[in-house]
Amino acid sequence: MIKPFIVALGLGTVAFAGPVQADTILPEYEAQARAADPSFSGFSAERGQAFYLKDHATGKAETPSCTTCHMGNPTQAGRTRAGKTIAPMALSQTPDRFQDVKKVEKWFRRNCKSVLGRECSPQEKGDFITFMKTQ
Amino acid sequence: MRPLQQSEQSVTSVLIWDLPLRLFHWAMVLVVCVAAVTGYLFEDWWLDVHVWAGYALTALLLFRLIWGFVGSYYSRFNSFPLSIGGVRTHLFDLLRGRSDPKEGHTPVGAWMIVLLLTTLIGLVVSGFVVWGGQENNGPLASVISYGVGKGVEDVHEIFANILMGLIGVHLAGVLVETVIFKHDLIRAMLTGEKQVVPSGKSTAGLKHSVIGIVLFTVIAFGLTYWINSASRANEVAALDQIYKQACGECHMAYHPSLRTQSAWDQLMQGLEDHYGEDASLSDEVAQTVRTYLKDNNALNFDTEAAHKIGRINTPSLRITDTRFWQKKHDDFKDADFRHPAVGSKINCIACHKDAETGRFDDASIKLPKGIKYD
Repeated sequence: MIKPFIVALGLGTVAFAGPVQADTILPEYEAQARAADPSFSGFSAERGQAFYLKDHATGKAETPSCTTCHMGNPTQAGRTRAGKTIAPMALSQTPDRFQDVKKVEKWFRRNCKSVLGRECSPQEKGDFITFMKTQ
Repeated sequence: MRPLQQSEQSVTSVLIWDLPLRLFHWAMVLVVCVAAVTGYLFEDWWLDVHVWAGYALTALLLFRLIWGFVGSYYSRFNSFPLSIGGVRTHLFDLLRGRSDPKEGHTPVGAWMIVLLLTTLIGLVVSGFVVWGGQENNGPLASVISYGVGKGVEDVHEIFANILMGLIGVHLAGVLVETVIFKHDLIRAMLTGEKQVVPSGKSTAGLKHSVIGIVLFTVIAFGLTYWINSASRANEVAALDQIYKQACGECHMAYHPSLRTQSAWDQLMQGLEDHYGEDASLSDEVAQTVRTYLKDNNALNFDTEAAHKIGRINTPSLRITDTRFWQKKHDDFKDADFRHPAVGSKINCIACHKDAETGRFDDASIKLPKGIKYD
């Protein structure tokens, strides 16, 4: 009787491990957003989409918008200015996106500075990821 | 009439050139053609074919040099009529429109063989030096520096030009003998036989065919063994994984030997505005990258790319601003660099398949479909 129980436990753990990791990053940004603004009422995919498509043009001249490299449709592959392919940002196309906190923070830091000329707020980051989850 | 009749009767078919010598001659024609066409006319990325022709040439030459001592009578160097007096007489005869049929080489013909073989030796030796030094390839890669290889390239070209001249004279000589004096030298080099009054000196026969073919096989295997065992992939190191990840996500990761240490330092200091993008790294990663770049910068590598591009600093720090880069790519149009398989000028690896190793071997160039070199 003990054996099947252990197997079930094992399977449960395996099935649980993936989603837990994927979802650690949003609650983290949510906590930060709430700390910055007590009236914060959750992330919005629509805001994320508008942010993604907007022609910010407040950063470096070469990169006015996210879409400069990632393209207007996030389910399609992007291309760096140097010509290298970027895997689609949409979670449906690239399921392992937004899992590695260090990597996500590195690219938000770099790309927000390039495109907006400043770091992104926790709300902007959360909206962005929320939008990509719907794609 | 009687003596004439007698001499006509005694003219018979004699085997002068043994089979190995004839095979050597025609193999040489083929191999020299391949080497000349790839060397003079084709682009850099045919260099591997040129080098294979060079290796074949080396085996053939080694065979011929040994055959000059152990071959049949007329293949041996000591049968060559090289005396100055003989050459003078021969030349005067030619000018007076006379050329008696000879069993072996004529004096001028013998000197032509000596000059051809000497030039070919020079060509092959200098070829090995350039291949080892400048291209960092082949059996001499580890013993010849880039500078020596680069310098000897001119010598190699001079030998090649001399060879072309000698071949021209050789062909002209054969033409004169064939057309004017009706000595069918080409047929003789095919069948080995000449129509002469036998002197009894020729020793060519089956024995020599067997010995020659065995000898050539041994030389070919020995040479292949030497080339394979002495050639080692010099100056190759896989890119450091942390470096590759840190610097290879937006563009290909450039081998550290493509820039000097001062250029890398300058670049690392300006990562927040890296050609129009923020490419800053965490302190920890940046430190690892700095150390790797320092240890492997252009001064620590002896490749052609390290010498001609890596060691040349440009104000923009860009590789594509070096004169060598521009000279080597000036036949490509802007559209070629925008080709979907390329993307931009800085995506070396689109054509240079070994770009990440820093070697940039000519033989590793593969142009994507749709890009032409003209």
